[in-house]
Amino acid sequence: MLRLPPFALHQPTTVAEAVATLKEFAPDVRVISGGTDLLPNMKLAQTKVSHLVSAKFLDELHGITRTDTHVRIGAATSLQTLAEDEDVRELLPALAYAASRIASPQIRQMGTLGGNISLDTRCRYINQSELWREALGGCLKSHGSECHVVPGGQGCVAALSADTVAPLIAYGAVAEMASVLGPRRAPVQELFQQDGTWHVRIAREELLVAIEIPIPAPQTRVAYRKWSVRQSIDFPLVSVAVRLDVADDVLTGGLVVVSALGPRPRVLTLERLAGSAIDESLAEALGQMVHERARPLPNLPYDAEYRRERMVVEVRRAVRVLAGLPERPLPVPR
Amino acid sequence: MTVPDAPSPAPVLVTLQLNGEPVSVAVPPHWTLLELLRYRLGLTGTKQGCDKGDCGTCTVRIDGEPQLACLTLAVEVRDRHVETVEGLGVGGEPHPLQEAFARVGAAQCGFCTPGMLMSASAYLDKLTLEDEPVVRREDIAQALAGNLCRCTGYTKILQAVEEVAQVVLDRQRELAESTTEEP
Amino acid sequence: MSAVRDNVSRGRPYAVVGARHGKPDALDAMAGLAKYADDIALPRMLHAKILRSPHAHARIRSIDTSAAEAMEGVHAVVVGAEMPTRYGVIPWTPDEQALAADKVRYVGDGVAAVAAVSEDIAIAACKRIVVDYEVLTPLTTPEAALAHPENKIHEANKHGNITKQVQLAFGDVDAQLANADLVIEGHYGFHGSTHAALEPHCSVAHVDGRGLLTVWSATQVPHYLHRELAKVLEVPTHKIRVIQPQVGGAFGGKSEPFDLEFVAAKLAMKTGRPVKCLYTREEVFLAHRGRHPFEMDYKTGFAEDGKILAVDAKSILDGGAYSSFGLVTTYYSGQLLGSPYVFDSYRFDSTRVYTNKPACGPKRGHGSVQPRFAIEVQLDKAARALDIDPIELRRRNFVGENTTTINEFHIGSSGFLECLDLVEQASTWKARHGKLPRGRGLGVAGSTYISGTNYCIYPTDLPQSGVQICLDRSGRVRVFAGTSDIGQGSSTMLAVVAAEELGVHLDDVRVVAADSDLCPVDLGAYSSRITLMAGNACLSAARDLAGKVRQAVAKKWLCQKRDVILADRRAQRLDDPDVWMDITEAFILAEVEFGTMGSTGSYQTPREDVHGEYRGGTIGASPAYSFTAHIAEVSVDEETGDVRVENIWCAHDCGRALSPVLVEGQIEGSVYMGFGETVMEHHHVMPSGLRTDGKRRDSGPGKEGLLAHSSLLDYRMPTTLDTPNLFAGIVEKPDPRGPFGAKEAGEGPLHSVIPAICNAIFDAVGVRVDELPVTPAKILAGLRAQRSGGA
Repeated sequence: MLRLPPFALHQPTTVAEAVATLKEFAPDVRVISGGTDLLPNMKLAQTKVSHLVSAKFLDELHGITRTDTHVRIGAATSLQTLAEDEDVRELLPALAYAASRIASPQIRQMGTLGGNISLDTRCRYINQSELWREALGGCLKSHGSECHVVPGGQGCVAALSADTVAPLIAYGAVAEMASVLGPRRAPVQELFQQDGTWHVRIAREELLVAIEIPIPAPQTRVAYRKWSVRQSIDFPLVSVAVRLDVADDVLTGGLVVVSALGPRPRVLTLERLAGSAIDESLAEALGQMVHERARPLPNLPYDAEYRRERMVVEVRRAVRVLAGLPERPLPVPR
Repeated sequence: MTVPDAPSPAPVLVTLQLNGEPVSVAVPPHWTLLELLRYRLGLTGTKQGCDKGDCGTCTVRIDGEPQLACLTLAVEVRDRHVETVEGLGVGGEPHPLQEAFARVGAAQCGFCTPGMLMSASAYLDKLTLEDEPVVRREDIAQALAGNLCRCTGYTKILQAVEEVAQVVLDRQRELAESTTEEP
Repeated sequence: MSAVRDNVSRGRPYAVVGARHGKPDALDAMAGLAKYADDIALPRMLHAKILRSPHAHARIRSIDTSAAEAMEGVHAVVVGAEMPTRYGVIPWTPDEQALAADKVRYVGDGVAAVAAVSEDIAIAACKRIVVDYEVLTPLTTPEAALAHPENKIHEANKHGNITKQVQLAFGDVDAQLANADLVIEGHYGFHGSTHAALEPHCSVAHVDGRGLLTVWSATQVPHYLHRELAKVLEVPTHKIRVIQPQVGGAFGGKSEPFDLEFVAAKLAMKTGRPVKCLYTREEVFLAHRGRHPFEMDYKTGFAEDGKILAVDAKSILDGGAYSSFGLVTTYYSGQLLGSPYVFDSYRFDSTRVYTNKPACGPKRGHGSVQPRFAIEVQLDKAARALDIDPIELRRRNFVGENTTTINEFHIGSSGFLECLDLVEQASTWKARHGKLPRGRGLGVAGSTYISGTNYCIYPTDLPQSGVQICLDRSGRVRVFAGTSDIGQGSSTMLAVVAAEELGVHLDDVRVVAADSDLCPVDLGAYSSRITLMAGNACLSAARDLAGKVRQAVAKKWLCQKRDVILADRRAQRLDDPDVWMDITEAFILAEVEFGTMGSTGSYQTPREDVHGEYRGGTIGASPAYSFTAHIAEVSVDEETGDVRVENIWCAHDCGRALSPVLVEGQIEGSVYMGFGETVMEHHHVMPSGLRTDGKRRDSGPGKEGLLAHSSLLDYRMPTTLDTPNLFAGIVEKPDPRGPFGAKEAGEGPLHSVIPAICNAIFDAVGVRVDELPVTPAKILAGLRAQRSGGA
């Protein structure tokens, strides 16, 4: 069977203790929360690390609280809790929906929001066994020097595959980190860099503590769309969130966030479409926009050309849902 | 791991509730709960199908929730309640799910069955009349969507769970009616 | 032994046969008590790991195992040179070695193995084995392998990289095609898929104090494993005991010996300690032996009334690195087309080619699922062109009962027309076909399959199946059989047959199966043979005992043996149900009369008039054939190309359903598996150049031949949320050659689901997907072509 390599596991009960441990062992250390991404990657020797710091016993990292202006979600809150939470479902429905579409029921019980945000990038050339990667001759993220997705490419383009990232960005979420240097805040949108070998801009010494999300204005609508071959278990092959800010039935602004591309999500702002009606032509316009400005790569294990077409359709459908139109156009008559 | 050039960190003593009984066992930090159950404690009812969270075969319940033993570090279940298929029956009697699975032919090779039963029992234990007055097959399908089965096409599995869920709700309904009648 | 006797008719109703029972031993699996191979733990057991080739095609210059052997905790290392004997499940094509000694032929070919005190150490030790490879140019497509006969994957092979070619013709195909009112011609592509049983292969071996080698293995062919172990390990068969523990699914994926069995056994012999070898999920995908990819060119001629005049079929089979069952697959690719329809003329030309990929073999519906797809789509096209209802077209071509096919196979019973009727009614086809709104459609297809093969895969006059039964003074029945219960319920089937004949309840029968020390030989769980063959053997043994019991009771009652019947745990007077005794008392009377109550039964296929008198005419010949019809209902999303299969109705003629619940389970499972491979699953090996966008890139040797989907994450098999509603309908047309009339149910119900779905897609949106799998991209491409064609 696949075996985990040996490591030391630290189980702190306070954030202070946790960040001190992270500091002590960085960079050869990782935070383990649900373990549903880290442990498979360690079993495949894709991630090699000597120390794990468990978030399981850090009470501060668990739970969802609501203020007048924000919803605050502890980083170690399970995805199932997130999907079922009354406040999240009412105020941040696209986030609750995204959480409910992650992997499988068991993984949603185990996996956490912090873990999903920190999910390692995925690529058909890296999420493989050691034998497979040896046979390939390695790649930029494994032990090689060649990118098989972009021939001649110098940077790893493995795909950010977290379902929650696109809606979090659409909602303007902010991440809160702790370290021995003190707390730090950063918008989730700025949390990612164009390097598939390590795309999350959270230092090894840092602990992701919580996500804070402003409660959207009543006129703001957000939708999340995921496409995967199966209805369960799968990572997204297309992952898009659309945010429409609306006043007097016309668009005032918004975002289209496309994930599952490369290491970083693509964020398109909608200011130039301000004044548009919320209707099918807006759906077409946004579809056209992502078609021009976002391009899935042959990194995930599915036909990239189709993923591009599908991304466009999913954006259109997100707009239709937000506009109260039928999700699917009526079929052409026989 | 006892590879000479990669010495293993010392085993850690873990105490947990396993099928209702306290267990204390020393286990290396890199052992999963699946390995602890199968290869240390001899509870081989929990199966291994893919080793990395893709199939649901190793599903156990931790504090009542269905989780994957292959992606759970054994030392992380400290002080928690772990239930495996071996603990599902009560007092020598099979659990109603086990009886229904056997009767309707929901197990063919039986390899996914322990995990399937753990997911199904978690679904059943949450079933309340107030939340869900009728049994809906799509809810059951959702609850079992992390458990792959290669033999049955799920048809008889869904049927078995549906039958037991119906009994559970009927019993709750009877109970509710009898308590409302009394005063 | 009288295999052709009439097992069907009986004057009184059955007590156990046909009842809606589950499996008597089901609660063991429910409670986690059933022991699968990896559940076995023996004292001082070592763990073995196999080092695998990172090259798709390379010569092994040398292997240095010294660093591995020097590791603490390592007890033995084995390499291919220690087990050089070539073997193969088909004795005519022995092209495999337990571990590759001279050459590796796919990424994943085993080259060495280590036994150590822990799996971790075995894994670490494998990394210290140094293999010096001379890398050769890999051939990963049949086209490349055919184009380069000089680059032989197997040096000893006669014809380049062709492993088998079969050309057979029946009737005057060219003349009939020339006469035809309609000729449908098309190219069909069938992709690879794999079994993906949830239990990974696992084997445990141990040599006891007497020198007896015991091998427990997750196999579906313990007898063939036994033979090949003896051959490769050079140990006589009487010094080997093979035990098949509970098996967690197989579907053809465990139907021949694999490297782990030889490795565990050899290392147990070398170390004197028990050795376990367990595959990772990736190793299961590499072991493969799954569905062969086919490229098929079919030409079918029809008369105006829809009658099939001629079929001309040409197929290329992508075999992968080894022969496996490939000789049979190549024959099946054409031989099994001769039913359920009657052809006036017919020929096929099938070529199986070696490629540097995991070997293909028998997956559920071995060799006949791919041609079934091609022909059933052709029938649908013909029905459209001739404006005949597709079900009606199939009825008109029905092969009939008690007849002989054009390729000289004997068809006994056939419920094909009843199958068509049943799915037609269940799906409300008449009211809906062709009348649904665009985007929704219905499609139909039919098929046939064998209930075992008339000939064993090695030449022998020995029985294909043996069963021994003992009666117990406590009223129990013990059945010993070499049969492999892989989840399909063969042990339940034996219990049903024994219980019915001996008048006991299902729970009173204990079946001891698949232990070569305890059980008579059965050839294994393949080609849907067990119900018919082991069932007949069991029936024969049980009847013998039942006769003695009745005779002993008759003696006491001073009546004739024929006046005594055994049913419901009683012996009773046929003409006076009030006269009865407990079955235990009856068994005791018999034991007093005859001594210890035991008997054996054997099954050998009928030898007269059962196959074609031509080379290859024995392959595909079966004692009885099952029949199936499917209707699929789909909805197609024209914006995304998504195909949602909503409902599948399947009706299957299994002769007689000994255990209807289990037969339904086989139907549902088959339909599920066929559905999965139609729309989701793909055992795909990357061809030269790793780019999947069609553009080739330079790729050095060793970089092609990688499996694209080697986990249960990437190999996408349907979940509960993806699976359509499955309707399983049983049709019973008892066949005199089956026990109580029973035929197969485990493989037939897979075949025609695939073309039924594709035909439904055409009905929904007018798009033909002739190259599997069905993907949204293909649907969108078809819709685009439709629009640009002015449709």
